[in-house]
Amino acid sequence: MKNWKKILLPLAASALMLSACSGGGGNTETAASGGSGDAAKKEITIWAWDPNFNIAALNLAKEKYAKDHPDVTINIVENAQADIVQKLNTGLNSGTTKGLPNVVLIEDYRAQNFLQAYPDAFRDMSDKIKAEDFADYKAGPTSFDGKQYGIPFDSGVTGFYIRTDYLEQAGYTLKDVTNIDWDQFIEIGKKIKAATGKDMLTQDPNDLGTLRVMLQSAGSWYLKEDGVTPNIAGNAAFKEALELYKSMFDADIVKLNSDWSQFVAAFNSGDVASVPTGNWITPSVKAEASQSGKWAVVPIPRLKDTPNSVNASNSGGSSWYVMNVDGQDTAADFMADTFGSDAELYQELLSKIGVLGTLKAAAGGEAYEQPDEFFGGQKIYSDFAKWTTEVPKVNFGLHTYAIEDILSAEVQNYLNGSKDVDAVMNDTQAQAEAQLK
Amino acid sequence: MKAYWRRFHAQRLFVKLFLVMVVSTVTVSIVTSLVTIRMSERLFTETFGITNSKVLNQIRTGLESFNDSVVNAATYAAQNGTIKTYLSGGESNSVRMANTYFGMNQQMRRAKSNVDAYGVGLTAVGVNGRNYSTDRNYWPVPADRLVGHPLSQRIEKEPRRLIYQYDMERGEDGRPVPYIIASKALMERTTGYIYGNLYISMREDEFRRFYGNFTNAGNDVVIMDSTGRIVSSNQTKWIGTVSKTLLSYTESASKGEEVVRRNGEVFGRSSIILSSYIPEYDFYLVNLIDRNYAAGKIVNFRDLVLVGGLIVGAALLLVFIITRRQTRSLTVLVRQMSTVTQKDFDNYIRVTESSGYEVQELSRAYNYMLDELNDYIARLLQTQKERRNAELAALQRQINPHFLYNTLASIKILVQKGDKEAAGETINALISLLQNTISNVSETITIEHELENMRNYIFINHARYGDRIRVNVFAAPDCMQYRVPKLIIQPFIENAFFHAFNEKQSGMIYILVSQADGKLICEVSDNGDGMDSTQEWTGTDMGTSLPNPKSKRQLFSGIGVQNVHNRITLLYGDDYGVTIESRKGEGTKVKITLPLIMEDV
Repeated sequence: MKNWKKILLPLAASALMLSACSGGGGNTETAASGGSGDAAKKEITIWAWDPNFNIAALNLAKEKYAKDHPDVTINIVENAQADIVQKLNTGLNSGTTKGLPNVVLIEDYRAQNFLQAYPDAFRDMSDKIKAEDFADYKAGPTSFDGKQYGIPFDSGVTGFYIRTDYLEQAGYTLKDVTNIDWDQFIEIGKKIKAATGKDMLTQDPNDLGTLRVMLQSAGSWYLKEDGVTPNIAGNAAFKEALELYKSMFDADIVKLNSDWSQFVAAFNSGDVASVPTGNWITPSVKAEASQSGKWAVVPIPRLKDTPNSVNASNSGGSSWYVMNVDGQDTAADFMADTFGSDAELYQELLSKIGVLGTLKAAAGGEAYEQPDEFFGGQKIYSDFAKWTTEVPKVNFGLHTYAIEDILSAEVQNYLNGSKDVDAVMNDTQAQAEAQLK
Repeated sequence: MKAYWRRFHAQRLFVKLFLVMVVSTVTVSIVTSLVTIRMSERLFTETFGITNSKVLNQIRTGLESFNDSVVNAATYAAQNGTIKTYLSGGESNSVRMANTYFGMNQQMRRAKSNVDAYGVGLTAVGVNGRNYSTDRNYWPVPADRLVGHPLSQRIEKEPRRLIYQYDMERGEDGRPVPYIIASKALMERTTGYIYGNLYISMREDEFRRFYGNFTNAGNDVVIMDSTGRIVSSNQTKWIGTVSKTLLSYTESASKGEEVVRRNGEVFGRSSIILSSYIPEYDFYLVNLIDRNYAAGKIVNFRDLVLVGGLIVGAALLLVFIITRRQTRSLTVLVRQMSTVTQKDFDNYIRVTESSGYEVQELSRAYNYMLDELNDYIARLLQTQKERRNAELAALQRQINPHFLYNTLASIKILVQKGDKEAAGETINALISLLQNTISNVSETITIEHELENMRNYIFINHARYGDRIRVNVFAAPDCMQYRVPKLIIQPFIENAFFHAFNEKQSGMIYILVSQADGKLICEVSDNGDGMDSTQEWTGTDMGTSLPNPKSKRQLFSGIGVQNVHNRITLLYGDDYGVTIESRKGEGTKVKITLPLIMEDV
């Protein structure tokens, strides 16, 4: 009894002291453990840009897929294209796939750059989709080493958007601009400018998109078939395209712009008579409702002196890529089920968002046959679908944008007359070879 | 109710003690906790203040280096001819224009390379209506809206300064997105001709990165312009609001002091406000530390209350048990002590182990005192008893001189009458009587001897007064060896001789000695005059009923009947004594009850 008391009292006292000391202790969180390497993980993440176009398309696909697969969680994350490119480069460069998404949208011009540098980072989709189900020209950028990596998405098929009212004022009909070549284009442009005072087209000197459209119409590109060797010096198609490009400026039918909004503003304000570019411009053209009925879309002009040039080309466009991270099988299944095969989905994408897909099976549907009053009742999607099949297939290779950076500066030298066309081509070739070694 | 009150009353010492202990324990623990909390709070906020001052300086450094980059970009743009041409030149042919546009893009990219480390957009607007943006989506303000925009108005007022301003634009999804815009007029230095404005825009969430790492819950950073508008904060809901209160706390920040520390009430929270003025931006960098949150972070009230409560509870339980035990034994002690008056010093206190040292000692002392007291009283009683006994014994032992004188006178008459034989026998009887009463030193004598004395006494009386009163002695033989005090029967015989036969001239006196119920019974009865029944003597009112033996008679000894009774009770207790039965005209019977004693004590 006595001993018990002797022990208890100091105990109580020490407990009091302890209570005075305690209180500062925080919780230590245990770090979450890493991934388990689960290919069938039911939660996937997708990165894309442009909420009005790509993200909207993803949401439609997700909605459809969720009906049959309620157990799969799909997180759609919007990032700017530049951010995605940078994050992918950073992630893949560091050799870890941590923090990378299951599916990523990559522009076709850049695709090979990633596929060839990091083929193991992407899932081979050959078992899920067939390249021949999609527009032929999409196979080049989306596959590598005989394996189909990308799920081709939107079409960059080009059209020659033209103001029919200006055309009439210059004394032309729509027939006069259908299936023409670029020389005719420039002539008509001159006439229109003389008649209306409006420039024929608008260009950003830093973006040589028109040059690329010309090249692809002839099945040629900045790089050779191998995708790495610069294909500029001695490239006849290139030379013709470059000369045409200069002719446009020399003819003084070009209104300059410095970015996308000025580009759109140029035709929305009625300052230019035509827009020869990818079909993705359709929503922007239609954005100016007051011009309804004054527009038509005809096939893109071709190169006159290059024999295999056709009145169909491509500008831009992108595809989906499944990455080799946890959940790749789920992601592959999702992509194959939706963008990889669902023709019905593409109908919806077209009618609701205006996305022109590249799945051949979807090229027919009802949505494609809808006449568009803005374009005077023309069935533009049907036309685009038709032209899509005609687009020559080229290998965008690894360095499209790298070469364009060199080229755009050289083009200025050519435009202001300080170099002739051969010098420009040779210098560009030399710089590109030096830089891309 | 009354019972309860009494119980409470009995426990009031405990209740008082316990209440005091409860109050003091609880008070001490609460006060200790509060003081500790207060101290740790103060320490925490002090440390926080010092650390955060450093943090503020670090943020400042970051902001200043960003400003340097912005200044570089702006300077590059302002001195660049291509940019000037683009912004102020007129329209020309496509080739020239292509050159200008291309050049503009190149130069702006170069200008932007100064700030490429940060997520910013460059926008330039020229007097000729042209504009350029490195990323129009980044800061989606249409160029035409920039004309006459409040941002531009301020630039016009201060064309030579790089001005940082707050701007709010709607994003693609319609949500308002806050921006911080550094803007500067592009001006020909020599002529002062302003040909355009340069806007370097940074989304607020990018801007937040300068300090985002330093913030956490309860520790907020606010960047505020000189009008009190919050341009950036990790608390997004504050962005764009104007807080003059917060501004007032930072005011003196501009007077030389690097970091100003204030305490105040901001955004409905009691906060420590650290602020630093950044002249490059004309912004105030403010750090708000929520006192309550900070305090709450360091003081876990739930645990504190729990642990404190447990300890207080345990302490009180201990106090309860100890106090209870102490006071209960005390209460018992008090209760027992208070009965001392009722129980003749006999209420000894039980000394128990559990009652505690003090009470044990007290009880022992008290018991010792009672012992002493009882001892003393017993001794006192004993002394008194002995004194009285001695007195009585002395009295009893005295032989009345008159008796001797009368007896001797009777003997002289017998001698003169010549009755030598009777005289000799009388002298023999007196000698034997005197021998037994005077010389025998022991207090008690056997019945045998006592009866022998009685016979001698009777013989002497017969010799003196004749034999009209006859005495018969009947003694049971088994009683002869029991001892009785000397001359215990004599007074009653004497009484019978001299008082029982005043009316009757002759009679008989019987002396009976027997034992019954473990007592020795000596009876002295006569058939004389007797007394009124009312005068019956029971031993309690002694001396009133019996005639005073000393009045006129020559007694053998000075002892009276009452004294005999007193002596017996003194010697042997209340069970023994003398009883007298008497009836008028029939006689008197005296009964002496004594214990059976064999040895001389």
